[in-house]
Amino acid sequence: MTRFVDMLVAAVLLAGLYATMAYGLGLIYGVLRVVNLAHGGVIMVGAYLGWVLHERLGIDPYLAIPIVALASFGLGVAMYALLVQRLPRGAAGGPASLLLLFGVWLVLRNIAYLLFTGNDQAIRTAYSTQSRMILGTHVAVSRLVVLGIALAIAVTLQLVLRRTQLGRAIRAVAQNADSCTLVGIDVRRIYMLTFGIGTALAGVAGVLFATIFPFNPASGASELLKSFVVVVLGGLGSITGVAVAALIVALAEVFSIFVLPAYLTTTVGFLLLVVVLVLRPGGLFGQRVLS
Amino acid sequence: MTAPSPLIPRRLVAGFVAGFAILAVLPVGVELSPYAHNLLTSSFIMIAGVLAWNWMGGFVGQVSFGHASLFGVGAFVSARLMLSVHLPVPACWLAGAVCAGVFALAAHPMLRLRGPYFSIATIGFGEISRQVLTYWERFTGGASGLSLPIDAVLKYQLYWWALGFAVLVALASVAIRRSSLGLKLLAIKADADAAADVGISTTFYQDVIFMLSGTVVGLSGGLWASYFGFIEPSDMLGFDRSIAFVLMAVVGGIGTSLGPVLGAVVFVLVRTYLLASYPELYLGLYGLLLICIILFEPLGLTGLGLRVVAAVQRARRRRSREVV
Amino acid sequence: MTLLVARGLTKRFGGLIALDDVDLTLADREILGVIGPNGAGKTTLFSVLAGSIRPTSGEVMLAGARVTGPAHRTVRAGIVRTHQIVRPFGNLTVFENVLVAAIHAPGHGETRAADRAAEVLSFVGLSDRAEQLPVTLTLAGRKRLELARALSTGPRVVLLDEVVAGVNPTEALAFAALIRRVRDERGISVIMTEHVMPAVMSLSDRIVVLDRGKRIAEGTPQEIAADPRVITAYLGTEAAPEDPPEAAPEAAPEAAPEDPQ
Repeated sequence: MTRFVDMLVAAVLLAGLYATMAYGLGLIYGVLRVVNLAHGGVIMVGAYLGWVLHERLGIDPYLAIPIVALASFGLGVAMYALLVQRLPRGAAGGPASLLLLFGVWLVLRNIAYLLFTGNDQAIRTAYSTQSRMILGTHVAVSRLVVLGIALAIAVTLQLVLRRTQLGRAIRAVAQNADSCTLVGIDVRRIYMLTFGIGTALAGVAGVLFATIFPFNPASGASELLKSFVVVVLGGLGSITGVAVAALIVALAEVFSIFVLPAYLTTTVGFLLLVVVLVLRPGGLFGQRVLS
Repeated sequence: MTAPSPLIPRRLVAGFVAGFAILAVLPVGVELSPYAHNLLTSSFIMIAGVLAWNWMGGFVGQVSFGHASLFGVGAFVSARLMLSVHLPVPACWLAGAVCAGVFALAAHPMLRLRGPYFSIATIGFGEISRQVLTYWERFTGGASGLSLPIDAVLKYQLYWWALGFAVLVALASVAIRRSSLGLKLLAIKADADAAADVGISTTFYQDVIFMLSGTVVGLSGGLWASYFGFIEPSDMLGFDRSIAFVLMAVVGGIGTSLGPVLGAVVFVLVRTYLLASYPELYLGLYGLLLICIILFEPLGLTGLGLRVVAAVQRARRRRSREVV
Repeated sequence: MTLLVARGLTKRFGGLIALDDVDLTLADREILGVIGPNGAGKTTLFSVLAGSIRPTSGEVMLAGARVTGPAHRTVRAGIVRTHQIVRPFGNLTVFENVLVAAIHAPGHGETRAADRAAEVLSFVGLSDRAEQLPVTLTLAGRKRLELARALSTGPRVVLLDEVVAGVNPTEALAFAALIRRVRDERGISVIMTEHVMPAVMSLSDRIVVLDRGKRIAEGTPQEIAADPRVITAYLGTEAAPEDPPEAAPEAAPEAAPEDPQ
């Protein structure tokens, strides 16, 4: 029984990270209809940024989050303004945008490799090895903090999207970009800002990731996959939907140890995705995934 | 505006036939260094593989980031049969190809997905395949991989096996493009729902072409294994290898028949050069290349070539008008 | 002789009931008009009949045989649709657009398909555009192409989704004549939905009226025009001769104005 609780707790903690990763991908897709294939790369960049700030400047990774968020935001804005914007409008969802962003991912990966070599890194702080007792099980402090931050991010995102003018504009553009130009919303600016927010979320997720798991320049593919699974399961319209989906994926991953051999647990999310798509093409929350 | 698929001009066909003839005779006439032999044979194998990738990525428009899985399955099945069952080599290659084709059918549920969803699903497909094969030690030798016995004669002859294979696949590619199958695939690419609305079963034809693609890529894997004599799962089925297929097709010109050929050749050449001189830059350079191609010349080298040809024709017409 | 029978067609999208127990019959060589205010369920009805949407309940029978989706199977059975917003295959020529649809039609063989395609193209009057890409056609041209593509599948029933909307009056008249020829010369039954009242009133042998997913009236055009339920639900005052065409955003930009004829 305690084992069960252990795993439940582990899943909940992981879910926070997965949700944060998924928000970044989902926001960009929901608004621009572009799948940011560089998402995993930005997560990796965020991880390295947090690591550098910690190693070279001694900044606590969690405190570095605003810096990383800002930097990742800037990266996203640059990506949009210089590259994504230049795609012909109809190509938004097509192979062109995929390949373009994939190219960006390769470049990011190479830069990281040049700067930091291909070795695994991790952010280890004074309290990394500490743990607390939660519900009778030992939980690493870092994971607790990650969950806390993830919850804060989710709440903030919800507030921004629902209560601010920017959030309203973003939601309007996601619904119908053409009508938005008619009422005077600068759609391009919204696209740019949304892309930036999406990459900011990815960058922050990267820092959080780095405090729990090791990473290297080639990291990002599994994170991209997981984010994608969560987005598809959770639907595009709903922050809580994504949170629930993140929990489901985390639970599936943690509990799959009983069913699957160890090396397949990381791909559980993907298997889950295939199963869901085959059985319920509309995702769990009824979003149309098949055009 | 005329139809977008340019009929292959007679001069180009003649050029290709001549090129093929020269390549076929080359090793007999000239003493090829192992380096050159390697370069050419790898190119031929890759040409075939990328042409087959292009059937999915270019004809139907479903960009696969997981084709290494098919490449690897073909290679490992072929190698395993050679080591354990001692079948004649071509039979092993064919068996590998068939297994890869069947394995491609396992992706059937994914084929209902469109565009980015399909592409991301293929990343997962590739990753799972890699992990499963890495841990299936009895079959693939695990992380240490499989070593095939050295056969210098076979290695030398593989030049012609690979060349013939590449030519056959190129011909098949052109044939598919012009057939009713090709037409249906293009219709699916343009608008899958509208294609269904005129009676085309989108899942069936995508299954067919994915299976064909998998079979050919699996065969190229088998040839690769025989040529290089050593294969291991993280290399053969890795994401980097899947990336290579995409890069070759896009650099050469996705969707065209000539593109994969150019892309494969350029890729092999550049990769060999970069790996020798600037190994640490090669991914980034490819990334930049990809970005530039998508933004400026989506049809890659083929597109550039067409533009050059068109410009030359325009200049020639201008000159003849001036003379008159 | 009854050709198509749809019974109890119901479609629910979550809480929304798009079609509510709709019955429909179509006789051989008949032109049936389906009208109704926006949101009445006309396009959903078409999608269900064409097989691209599965009804929550109900069935469609063509010549006594049950017809189900998915869309490509319905087409092979003999029911084909055109789209409200035209969807030509932009990467294929006009001829290839029609050819790819003709390949599967009953009457096998690939050369025969090419002949069929050529014949259908000349029927709609697009023969001289055969080698052009759809983007070079005007809207009327693309609508003709859409019709040609549907016809070349060799259907028994063709569903025309607002085929006249958005074209100028001369073209609309030409289209009306074309639709009549589809029935008269090719023996194909037609179900058409339209907002352009004069077209649907003059072409239809019978009209069915939908409102909020339910069938509220059925009869000849004259009966329908006088039916108070229909007038209340839809027509309001007498319809102006030129109802503004449906402001549906076009999928492709219009080419320079050119007469398709």
